[in-house]
Amino acid sequence: MSSIEADILRDTPDATVPKRGRVRPAQLVLWALVLALCVVPFLLVVVISFGEKVEGAAWVFGFTGENYLRFFVGASWPETSTTLYLNRLYYSVYYAVIASLVAVLTAFPFTYFMTRMSRAAQSRWLVFLLATLSLSEVFIVMGWDILLSNRSGLPMVLREIGVTDWLKGNGGFDLLREWGMANPRDIKFKTSEFATVLTMSYLVWPYAVILLYPALSRLDQSTVEAARTMGAGPWRVVQTVVLPTVRLPLIGTLFLLFVFLLGTYVSVTVFAEPAKQTLAISVYESVRGSTLNAPFGAAQSVILLVTGGLCLWLGQVLVNKQEARA
Amino acid sequence: MDNLTLHKIRKDYGKVRAVEGVDLTFAHGELTALLGPSGCGKTTLLRMVAGLEDPSAGKITLGARDLTHMAAHKRKFGMVFQSFALFPHLNVRENVCYALTIAGMAKAQAHEKAAKLLDLVQLSSFADRSIGALSGGQRQRVAIARALAQEPEVFLLDEPMSALDANLREAMQVELRMLQQRLGITTIVVTHDQREAMTMADNIVVMSNGAVEQSGPPQDIYHKPRNAFVADFIGRANFFDGVVAGGKIISGGLSLEAGGVQYVDGSAVTVAIRPEQPMLAERIPAQNEVPAEVTFVRDVGATRDIHLSTALGPLIVEYALGEHARTFRVGDKITAQLPAGALYVFPAEQRRKSA
Repeated sequence: MSSIEADILRDTPDATVPKRGRVRPAQLVLWALVLALCVVPFLLVVVISFGEKVEGAAWVFGFTGENYLRFFVGASWPETSTTLYLNRLYYSVYYAVIASLVAVLTAFPFTYFMTRMSRAAQSRWLVFLLATLSLSEVFIVMGWDILLSNRSGLPMVLREIGVTDWLKGNGGFDLLREWGMANPRDIKFKTSEFATVLTMSYLVWPYAVILLYPALSRLDQSTVEAARTMGAGPWRVVQTVVLPTVRLPLIGTLFLLFVFLLGTYVSVTVFAEPAKQTLAISVYESVRGSTLNAPFGAAQSVILLVTGGLCLWLGQVLVNKQEARA
Repeated sequence: MDNLTLHKIRKDYGKVRAVEGVDLTFAHGELTALLGPSGCGKTTLLRMVAGLEDPSAGKITLGARDLTHMAAHKRKFGMVFQSFALFPHLNVRENVCYALTIAGMAKAQAHEKAAKLLDLVQLSSFADRSIGALSGGQRQRVAIARALAQEPEVFLLDEPMSALDANLREAMQVELRMLQQRLGITTIVVTHDQREAMTMADNIVVMSNGAVEQSGPPQDIYHKPRNAFVADFIGRANFFDGVVAGGKIISGGLSLEAGGVQYVDGSAVTVAIRPEQPMLAERIPAQNEVPAEVTFVRDVGATRDIHLSTALGPLIVEYALGEHARTFRVGDKITAQLPAGALYVFPAEQRRKSA
């Protein structure tokens, strides 16, 4: 190669090799959008959580840990202390765990059988489930509110068909009272943990089906049949073949629904009794409600977020441990 | 030692009849190949034997035991699937141990047995590998070892070679046959590859449109095809139409002798002859001489396919190459001899139905 050719080759830009360090304008815009829409609001919440409320006014930026302290021990500590907010955090996690478990446990068999249906039937179900996603939380909660209302809902039906009296006769009614699902005269679902979890599960159930569907529809049916020919009954097949094969999507779905449900607002407002309400309600009360304490609301949000992250991490550790043991 | 018997087995999917009136006996320790084109019902039949499908009618027995409606997990027939159906979340050893674990065998004992099976299929050093790290041939061996772990009374294989390349397929056919003979286990193999069936099986069951066309040893199927479909599906065959007259076949203006023609005069028939049967050598006793012109010559290894144009229609003759072999060129005028005993005569409508 002559020196002229070498010079030409050196000076000709190679379109196929992207140059390191060069950032295209489109990339810059994308990064700016991510920063503005995702990172900045979150950072703002963190910054505000260290701010101070000004009595009779709004709040000012600052750097105080009082909001976090208040969360754990209450505003009048050290004179008195309260676990009110910790209790609300507990119920946030409790409802989210139970409701996501209920949703996944009920959606799993449904989705499994759905994937065994004809393609046309599967399409119809998927379209129907996707359509239900268009319903807002308010609309769904309104529906359940009517269904579970004491005068015109399920308690009335149970009373009219004699189930309530039958339960009173065999001691089942007392059990329901212990569970907070009956008043001295009648079965009641509002307010109760049952109704709260039921509505929350219902809210995320279509998501559970849609998230589980790809994994279950890809499940090689011949592995199920192979297990059957090797002596595994239906439950053993699910236990030893189906569940381990879709383990990751299953755990992923559970985690996703859990995170989604941590922030549920309307269902909890309507169905949970005041003593068992969640941090989402408390955050709203602080930011927009009667107390108007944005820094404290922000601190609660950060704690809810960190708790969600910790729960996911803990879940992952438990799964890994179980895997290592197996 | 019990034989597996199918009595008048039928399977309907809605209005579609997949299998119709199948009566078969699989002798203990023999390897039987279910052979037929795609959609002929052979896999459905195998799945009914395995218990993965319920017959719409008929009975499946193993010796005196009626298995017809027994669940697959209670039959415990070892089965190798077309896709091998290995469990991706388990390694090789765990796959082989699966049936033993389900049966409640102690872990150490199960591992010991798995080691023996992996040794049998020459995969001892792969026990801890994940399934994803195996080649097609290795996966097939794992599937075989896994199916044999529970010591099944009947061993079923659904197109086990279809996922393998040609060379590996040949080698695995031999290995599988040797293994089956060593274990003496009743085996049913589903295949659409007639060569595979011919080389592996003690018996072949040829199926078409859900029914059994013919069953018997491979050589009988090849040399004594019961109908035009079998003659066409097993090996290669030349076909021409004719009419029976005076115990002979009249076709293309020629009168041909055909050993033991059992048709009344005037019957329309289809005649089949294997490509290796016509003779093109010159010094042979004249019988069924057919004037022909060479239209194409194709070397296929040890033999040469001579394509002929005759009054009967086109004929392909498989000509053995040797020291004194003739050389044929396109356009040569020759005479082909069709031995009377090599002509298979079938009713003409049979060929039309199978076409």
